[in-house]
Amino acid sequence: MKDFLYYKPKTIEEACEILTRYNGEASILNGGTDVIVRIHDGLNHPKALVDIKGISGLKTISFSKEDGLVLGACANMNAVINHKDILENYQIIAEAAHTVGSCQVRNRATIIGNITNASPLADTATPLLALDAVVEVFGVEGPREISINDFFVFVRRTSLKVGDVVTAVKVPYYKELKGSYQKHSRRDAVDLATVCASVLMVDGEIKIALGSVAPTPIRCRKAEDFLRGKKLTEELIKEATHRALEEVSPISDVRATKEYREEIARVLVSRGLRDLMG
Amino acid sequence: MKHKINFILNNEEITHEVAANRTLLDVIREDFDLTGAKEGCGAGECGACTILVDRKPINACLMLAVEADGKEILTIEGLSVNNKLDQIQQAFIDHAALQCGYCTPGMIMSGKALLMDNPSPTEEEVKEAISGNLCRCTGYKKIVEAIMEVADKTNSAR
Ligand SMILES: Cc1cc2nc3c(=O)[nH]c(=O)nc-3n(C[C@H](O)[C@H](O)[C@H](O)COP(=O)(O)OP(=O)(O)OC[C@H]3O[C@@H](n4cnc5c(N)ncnc54)[C@H](O)[C@@H]3O)c2cc1C
Ligand code: FES
Ligand code: FES
Repeated sequence: MKDFLYYKPKTIEEACEILTRYNGEASILNGGTDVIVRIHDGLNHPKALVDIKGISGLKTISFSKEDGLVLGACANMNAVINHKDILENYQIIAEAAHTVGSCQVRNRATIIGNITNASPLADTATPLLALDAVVEVFGVEGPREISINDFFVFVRRTSLKVGDVVTAVKVPYYKELKGSYQKHSRRDAVDLATVCASVLMVDGEIKIALGSVAPTPIRCRKAEDFLRGKKLTEELIKEATHRALEEVSPISDVRATKEYREEIARVLVSRGLRDLMG
Repeated sequence: MKHKINFILNNEEITHEVAANRTLLDVIREDFDLTGAKEGCGAGECGACTILVDRKPINACLMLAVEADGKEILTIEGLSVNNKLDQIQQAFIDHAALQCGYCTPGMIMSGKALLMDNPSPTEEEVKEAISGNLCRCTGYKKIVEAIMEVADKTNSAR
């Protein structure tokens, strides 16, 4: 691996200061399962890595009905999968996190790293989109919030600015949450999604998010708007699926062709909606 | 620039200097001659480099050595006590759960981590625990049987 400097700040302010000083040439090191692979493969050459795991409080996962779920930036996937409050109130997040890599990867990989890496296929992105999560950020001007709906900009690009550190992701509390995470991949274990989908009923409203069918994970707003206030029927599911498909623009790559992805997206959306019918 | 790190390696307290760009796998193999953990892919895909950090299995190829500061590390070499093999090592031998042996240290560490956490796993749980470890020789059947034997022994000893 090419050489770089390593910093392990103890405070968020210090992390922000170092990142700002390097003006885009330093990367945050969280679980490292994307960052270290990219350096190893020669795709990234940061001058410095800023390890944020020494900052206290960032591993915390907390939940209350008033504040919802607060998922600290450095909580790893396995901590999320086994967390009682998440299993009780946000099962879809645990389901999606469980599909990431292997047990070894999940002991290091974080949800925040997953969304900030901003791959269109990131497994934990679609549940967070469908649940209208909020990304908590500390930057040069102090703390601020970004809606997950405004977070993904393009392949591997987010709306974060130089110096920004995501401190947590917040998910509102919902009384009633139904639906599940669907990941279609070539193999069951240690594989990336060919297409993935979160189709949910959240306090009576249907939310649909798809991954790996566009430059970013997406919400299918047209289909959601069409279904609002209606009781699901086979007819409506057909039409809603059609509308959801109008919002995708997949590409062909090593995992699948564009046409195959469209077909799988169609299957996942209609299956997800049918599961919500009962 | 070198960083001074303190960590526990197979029950021994260590102080060591490492460059930031070295992986933990590289350091345990090259500086400590613990060559049980292997580099298969160097990218988190094969599990040949699996070791335990604070009792959890991780891919040592995807962790920087500097990140080991303050951690407790267990490699395959630390499993046996006074030259007596750990139960799981013995079970791999008894079941002939290896052929070339390249995946074996990683497999055993994944199995060990599971058993430390959950002494009586189901076969499904064993399969899931080793799903991040590739074996190109055995077809996995005997590996699962070996780990299950340790689980069953633990059960009947209760
Ligand atoms: C073998 C293997 C299998 C994998 N399988 C999957 C899979 O099935 N599904 C999937 O979605 N992904 C998969 N991945 C990719 C990766 O594991 C995930 O994206 C993971 O969640 C990244 O989290 P991390 O903490 O390791 O991030 P890191 O690698 O530490 O960081 C990722 C990116 O996010 C930035 N970042 C991290 N934390 C912050 C923060 N707090 N504030 C601002 N920026 C931050 C980093 O600078 C970097 O750009 C796999 C990777 C490997 C090696
Ligand atoms: S060498 Fe680490 S997972 Fe393959
Ligand atoms: S025994 Fe050869 S790779 Fe598993």
